[in-house]
Amino acid sequence: MSPILQVKGVTKRFGGLTANNDISFDVAEGEILSVIGPNGAGKSTLFKLIASFLKTTSGEVLFRGQRISNLAPHKVARMGVVRTFQETTIFRSMTVRENIIVAHHLRSKASLLGFFLGTSQARADEAEFGASADDIIDFLGMSAIRDELASNLPQGHLRALGMAIGLATNPTVLLLDEPFAGMNHDETMRMVSLVRRLRDERGVTVLLVEHDMPAVMKISDRIVVINFGEKIAEGTPAEIQSNEKVIEAYLGSEDAAIGM
Amino acid sequence: MEQIIANGLYLGAQYALIALGLTLIFSLMNVLNFAHGQMYVLGGFVTYTIVAQFGLPFIVGLFASAIVLAVVGALIEKFLFAPVIRKSKREESTMLLAAGIAFFLDAVILLVFGEKQRGVPKIVNGVLNWDFRIIMPYDRILIGVLAIAMIAGFILFMQYTKAGRAMRALAQDRMAAELMGVDVKRYSMIGFALGAMLAGLVGGLLVTITGINLGMGGPTSIKAFMMIMIGGAGVISGAIAGGFILGMMESIGLTVLAAYGDITYLVIFASLMVFLAIRPQGLMGKPWG
Amino acid sequence: MKAKLLGLGAFLITVFVIVPWLIAISGRWDFYYTLTSVALLSIASAGVWLTFYIGRINIGQGAYALAGGYVSAILITKAGFSFWATLPLAGLFCAGLSVLIGLPILRLRGVYFAMVTLVLTEVGRLSALALPVTNGAKGITSIPLPGEVSVFGLTLIPDFATLENPKLAFYLVAVLLMVICYAALYRIVNSRLGHLCRSLQQNEELSASIGVNTAYLRVLAYSISSFFGGIAGAMFVAISQSIYPSSFQVADSVNFMLNCFLGGLGYVFGPMLGTLMLYFGWDLLFTTGRFQLLIYSSLLILLMLFLPNGVLSLFERKGVRK
Repeated sequence: MSPILQVKGVTKRFGGLTANNDISFDVAEGEILSVIGPNGAGKSTLFKLIASFLKTTSGEVLFRGQRISNLAPHKVARMGVVRTFQETTIFRSMTVRENIIVAHHLRSKASLLGFFLGTSQARADEAEFGASADDIIDFLGMSAIRDELASNLPQGHLRALGMAIGLATNPTVLLLDEPFAGMNHDETMRMVSLVRRLRDERGVTVLLVEHDMPAVMKISDRIVVINFGEKIAEGTPAEIQSNEKVIEAYLGSEDAAIGM
Repeated sequence: MEQIIANGLYLGAQYALIALGLTLIFSLMNVLNFAHGQMYVLGGFVTYTIVAQFGLPFIVGLFASAIVLAVVGALIEKFLFAPVIRKSKREESTMLLAAGIAFFLDAVILLVFGEKQRGVPKIVNGVLNWDFRIIMPYDRILIGVLAIAMIAGFILFMQYTKAGRAMRALAQDRMAAELMGVDVKRYSMIGFALGAMLAGLVGGLLVTITGINLGMGGPTSIKAFMMIMIGGAGVISGAIAGGFILGMMESIGLTVLAAYGDITYLVIFASLMVFLAIRPQGLMGKPWG
Repeated sequence: MKAKLLGLGAFLITVFVIVPWLIAISGRWDFYYTLTSVALLSIASAGVWLTFYIGRINIGQGAYALAGGYVSAILITKAGFSFWATLPLAGLFCAGLSVLIGLPILRLRGVYFAMVTLVLTEVGRLSALALPVTNGAKGITSIPLPGEVSVFGLTLIPDFATLENPKLAFYLVAVLLMVICYAALYRIVNSRLGHLCRSLQQNEELSASIGVNTAYLRVLAYSISSFFGGIAGAMFVAISQSIYPSSFQVADSVNFMLNCFLGGLGYVFGPMLGTLMLYFGWDLLFTTGRFQLLIYSSLLILLMLFLPNGVLSLFERKGVRK
């Protein structure tokens, strides 16, 4: 299968600091690929580069062979590469359902003027968004909090809402930024099965950045490891677990985590 | 040429002093002090009252302006800004409060001092004439030098005193400063008082040259906003740079563009927009969101 | 839905029938001028409200009102346009201008945007003073009243100069304009456009990541806002038959913002309510003579002190959510 997303020699420097140096890897369609690395390894930067929230210093990111790096973020989203946020970013003073409906923006066929005038296309779109939002709410098991104000939600639900927002855009590739951060074991396991279902039932390719090692090992088809801004390993979870460079990078406080 | 630079420096020194006060208040409390220009006007009227009405020496008037404005600033911070900041959810609230205070000070100045343009007699007579390359009255030179000395004093204060260091810590990271044991409430008040005092001092200085009237408040605030946008809001070096840059641009504009009518500020604003499009955080400001 | 229609009906009957009737029987013709002003100011405020809605504090509406006024005045006096043609042109001119200005400055947020827009108002005044076409400080005066509009000999709008009661005519036009503007605003806010604006207000990054062209949307909202400012300014000029660089200044820009805030930023009709309250409040205080500004500003300060989140936050506490 040809790769859906290609990261080619991506480098990012902030002043004299090199956050990412010449990183390359491919993501195959329908796979769950995790990027891991110790804190400060440059994971988040890489993530922003892929979603084009930052401009690359050199190198490029291709989606189905088309260059997406350095485009405006909304254009990248329009092509089907959508990110969710680490800091559980949501529209705080909208309800869960409103959040998800707004996030359907990419699917609207009517123009903004059409919506203003209330054309039949616009009304059809609105109806479709509502139905689809309810669909996503059911899929994520959030029916009980459908009309809850987002700012009132607890952490775990916020994360799910963030994912729902991502899903609403009908992404081809979903970029999840630390989906398990701050979650306890049960919550993490629920999230793991959710991400799996995203891929299995909705055919979404998932690229995630995470440092919860056990969860990553469980969920990923393949793993890319970066350290000090450079790729040091790539492979299946089993390969990564026995990779010496990786163990070395994680030696110290986190070596227990890698051995599980 | 020399004349333009000299004028620019003279204007820049007073502008920088105004901008310093505004930026100090902004950096400490994230409040845009709309009433800054009115504080400047108030300072001018206090000096005028002391010097022209009571016949006391200029330096007494200047001190009185500083003290009155520091007290006014402290009271405004303690009884108005502090409670509103604590209770409000959006940054508009403090902005509207500041606008209300600006109106209020305008009203007070109108009632107490009236609408008339006021001035005090020249403090020094004579004009410096350097070969017709620089012509500048001595009193302007004196005021310029005083303003620069005050800027230097302010920098030294912020750099080397305990209060100055505490305020710098506060400006950088409110939370961290609190954890480090800085008395946030106290230094917010001191900072606001200091900022207001600077505005009052400039008013006191300039009443000797341009005089003072009620209508000068708003335009002064606006100039101060432009300066801190040029330099970067909340940064001391930025305020000084912004002040001198604006002073210089005004001086150049008044000479070069005189032939085209009064378009200096138009040109300055247009350049400011182009500049902000390239560098939204200003010259020295930190990049943000 | 039914309640809304009833409310709308009641409002229309009030402004178009009951108010003129009350004025006729009480003989207080001067109220027409007050209410016309309120209607026009609330159009300009509606624009400011829309910029609030995308999360920007706009203190520059005075500049657009001034620009709209001058466009109308110049087209009428120098190019012989009919006022009715200049009204939309003034709006469009301001919308176009705001695209040019908005492209760079809408990237700024919070206090920074507020500062630039405030400066913009002052620049508007300075431009009016400096540009040759605006006739400097003397302004443009003796602008003719709106003329007749007829189609195939059928008079749609009579010549205002021939009217027995132009005050009433201006009132009706201004209120009609206000109703149209607020209807448009209501529609914007309650259509997808409004939802997207809200998404922008709450989180621009997330908005971009769900595919919203944030830069375009910001400029769009800002230009609609400026359009409102422009037509309000043009209409003012028609009433006062004159315009000066000081017709709209920084204080006006601040007042537009105050109107929005006072009425409530979460409510489409907030700016209308706020304008009415502020304008009448200011008028009532006129009797206090030289203490007018003192009392007004003190009330404002007290209001911020005790209700820092706006008058309508009173309702929020009772659990009423928009």
